[in-house]
Amino acid sequence: MMLEVRDLGVRYGTKKILNGLGFSVKEGQWLMIAGPNGAGKSTAINAIAGGIDYTGSIRFEGEEIRRKKPAQLARCIGVLTQSHPVSYSFSVEEVVTLGRYSHSAGFLSRRVEGKDTAEAVNAALELTGMTKRRGQSVLTLSGGELQRTFLAQVLAQDPRLLLLDEPANHLDPVYQKQIFDLIRDWLKTPGRAVISVIHDLSLARAYGTEILLMNHGTALACGTADEVLTPALLKEVYQMDVYGWMRELLSQWN
Amino acid sequence: MPVNSHKKRFSAADYLLFSVVTAAVLCLCVCAGSVTIPLKETVNIIRQALYARICMLFGAPASLPEGTAASIILSVRLPRVLCVAATGASLSLAGAVMQGLLRNPLADGSTLGVSSGAALGAVIAIAFGITFPGLPFAGTMTMAVLSAFLSLLIILGLACKLDRSLSTNTIILIGMVFSMFVSSLMNIVITFAADKVQQITFWTMGSLQGKGYSEALILFGALLLFGGILFFHTRELNAFAIGEENARHIGVNVRRVKLVLLIAVSGLIGICVSVGGVIGFVGLVAPHILRMITGPNHRRLLPASAFGGATFLMLADLAARMLLRPRELNIGIVTSLAGAAVFLVVFWRAGRGK
Amino acid sequence: MKLSVKRTRSTAALLIAAMLLALTACGSPKEGGQSPSENPSSNASADTSVTVTDMMGRTVTLKEPATRVVALTASDCEILFAIGAGDTLVGRGTYCDYPAEVLDVPAVDSGSETNIEQILALEPQVLLMSTMSQTEEQVKQLEDAGVHVVVSNAQDIAGVYTAIEMIGSLMGKDEEAASVIENMKSTFQEIQENATGDGTETIYFEVSPLEYGLWAAGANTFMDEIANMMGLTNCFADVDGWGEISEEQVLERDPDYILTISLYYGEGPRPEEEIMARPGWENVTAVKNQAILNLQNNELSRPAPRLAEGAQMLFDFVYGR
Repeated sequence: MMLEVRDLGVRYGTKKILNGLGFSVKEGQWLMIAGPNGAGKSTAINAIAGGIDYTGSIRFEGEEIRRKKPAQLARCIGVLTQSHPVSYSFSVEEVVTLGRYSHSAGFLSRRVEGKDTAEAVNAALELTGMTKRRGQSVLTLSGGELQRTFLAQVLAQDPRLLLLDEPANHLDPVYQKQIFDLIRDWLKTPGRAVISVIHDLSLARAYGTEILLMNHGTALACGTADEVLTPALLKEVYQMDVYGWMRELLSQWN
Repeated sequence: MPVNSHKKRFSAADYLLFSVVTAAVLCLCVCAGSVTIPLKETVNIIRQALYARICMLFGAPASLPEGTAASIILSVRLPRVLCVAATGASLSLAGAVMQGLLRNPLADGSTLGVSSGAALGAVIAIAFGITFPGLPFAGTMTMAVLSAFLSLLIILGLACKLDRSLSTNTIILIGMVFSMFVSSLMNIVITFAADKVQQITFWTMGSLQGKGYSEALILFGALLLFGGILFFHTRELNAFAIGEENARHIGVNVRRVKLVLLIAVSGLIGICVSVGGVIGFVGLVAPHILRMITGPNHRRLLPASAFGGATFLMLADLAARMLLRPRELNIGIVTSLAGAAVFLVVFWRAGRGK
Repeated sequence: MKLSVKRTRSTAALLIAAMLLALTACGSPKEGGQSPSENPSSNASADTSVTVTDMMGRTVTLKEPATRVVALTASDCEILFAIGAGDTLVGRGTYCDYPAEVLDVPAVDSGSETNIEQILALEPQVLLMSTMSQTEEQVKQLEDAGVHVVVSNAQDIAGVYTAIEMIGSLMGKDEEAASVIENMKSTFQEIQENATGDGTETIYFEVSPLEYGLWAAGANTFMDEIANMMGLTNCFADVDGWGEISEEQVLERDPDYILTISLYYGEGPRPEEEIMARPGWENVTAVKNQAILNLQNNELSRPAPRLAEGAQMLFDFVYGR
């Protein structure tokens, strides 16, 4: 088991955001976390990324993540957030290069990037289609380009587990497909897994190997798409006929 | 679309270029001053003094140059210019780091009130007689560094509570609130120590007149120590400048690095203030102008800011000494004039950006 | 943000201004005052009223000499005590510190912080103040409340005589005032007669030490006037009033004498010693000859009778060596 989450609880003040959430991810799996707004999906990602205090346990290959040093954790788990506020004109390449930080964060090696840095950065830029923009200031990028820049950063980081919060955000259909295919390819290398928060259930169905349906800070169902995305469960969570809506949307295309 | 063609590193050639410019300005500031001394004589005096020093080093008998011109150059101008250069470099470095940490080009020791906080520490040390026996500067210095650190903690705390994204308006607001707070505390201290009003006033005005080699040594020591620490954290600073959350995700030990950076910044600001009082806007002007040349990458920005800050403050000091001869302007007036202009430009750009 | 920096700066500026005001009256030499016009001595037996024209040209009439006075300026307090009217003082400005008895009188805030209520609570008949420290609105407020405001504004020694005469007639102490002036005049005259200097020797008046930024007294100050009186040249005569000057200018101008008015707090080197220990100053003639005098009780910076004492001390120092 790569990641095991048990009885996860997170609260902001008196408000419980997550309450007894539990699930696990194996190598080679792409877990899609779905659920309505406010279900606690992003908070779950945030907790696994080590960004907030939590109760319960989150173990990466048996080790509690809060015991890991930041650089160690970054080599295991990489995160792509939804929004990317940037205020200085760093170049795309500079941002992507920072992804290699955890691979040379030692005291003596801190000022020099490792030998494989250039290689990893070039590969990540190539994969995300940002090679041509590598010298461009991030302040001049569009939302989609910014998203791809930070995706390149996390790919350069080369984690074992990739956490994606709404990766389709800001992306046009061309890049949506490209990015999702890219991540599926990335996942083919042994020893890797992906967790992503996603609203688009069609995408979840198409790319996810497992789906976790969340509501009110806890897991409602977890399993394959056919097991989880049943009309009854979706009706319970979204309070509407999701199947009907999806069909209606698709029917326009005929 | 504009292409960011900045290099990543501060190359040997860049170092050479910046040091040559800084050294040239240093020479200019030693040669020019309130009293006019012919260039030839200045060069002679410095040559003789160097020669004598080298002779003494090897135990050979030698005498230092004498006379009024020699006194002016060796005892008044040179140590003062050195102090000014070290102060400029330190304040500018501190400004650049704070702008990276807070992701806002308006953040600076003076705009946020950290310098006033440090001055308050120095004033408290004087008013309540906090001294360390045998170490003349240690009392005010320690208190200044400590209260600069405390000020930074308060400011960051306020920033966190008020507005996590740290917009320009928040920075200005925090700076205003904190400076007002410090200035009222200062007034309270003054009521308790009315007999030391003159000493206390000094800290709020700032002057590097009459500073000697020992002060220059302290300032350069601090610059070397704390500046050195900062130079080892350029990648983390880049990460912070892009975003604190992103920094955590790529594996930066946010808490520890932030603490180290804050200690280094307080050290720089505290020691500068305890020697020369509050000299505003240096940390705003120099990094801002240099960022336009080097780009935001701290690996280039930090060394450039150090050299640029030294150059800027030396020129400001030269203006302060020369403009109203034989009178002298307060150096803070000159830097504030330049600072106000840069402040407006930054603010205007930020406003237009929205 | 700029606002707050300015605040600190202006607080500092106000502090300095307050200090300077308390210490001296310097600036451009304006003929601010006119001779006080006494009440004509016709029907002197019945009419005890006094009328004075103050140094802003305002006429003030009192039914009888004042018995309750608040003085905001240090020099006015000194004048009151010098003419034997110290017992009429019911309130003083914060910076009034001479003679020692004045410290027993309740202090009121002065300068920018002048508090009208505080003054009115002392029920004075007359408020003595200088032009520099109070605003016109404050004057009007006080007069509306029935307090006679009398302004002193001495810019030179002649102005000091005017101020003494004016305060003397206000308090009904004309004779005492005349004798104080007479004493001052004779001291100055003696100094002038005995001084052998021909203006070739120079003196540097240091009013703020190097540690806090070097300030010198230039032209149009009491110090400058007194230096000229005893045949010395003020080496910063090209500076008007008090001003911050460059350290190297002092070395260049190489004064024969240095007068410092720095206070000695009882710790560290004395002001004279501090000057002598300054690196680079060893070539200055005054330092070589140890010709440095420290007068730290504002003898030469206030428009008050003690100017004569200060001048005498400086004379003794220069010519008694």
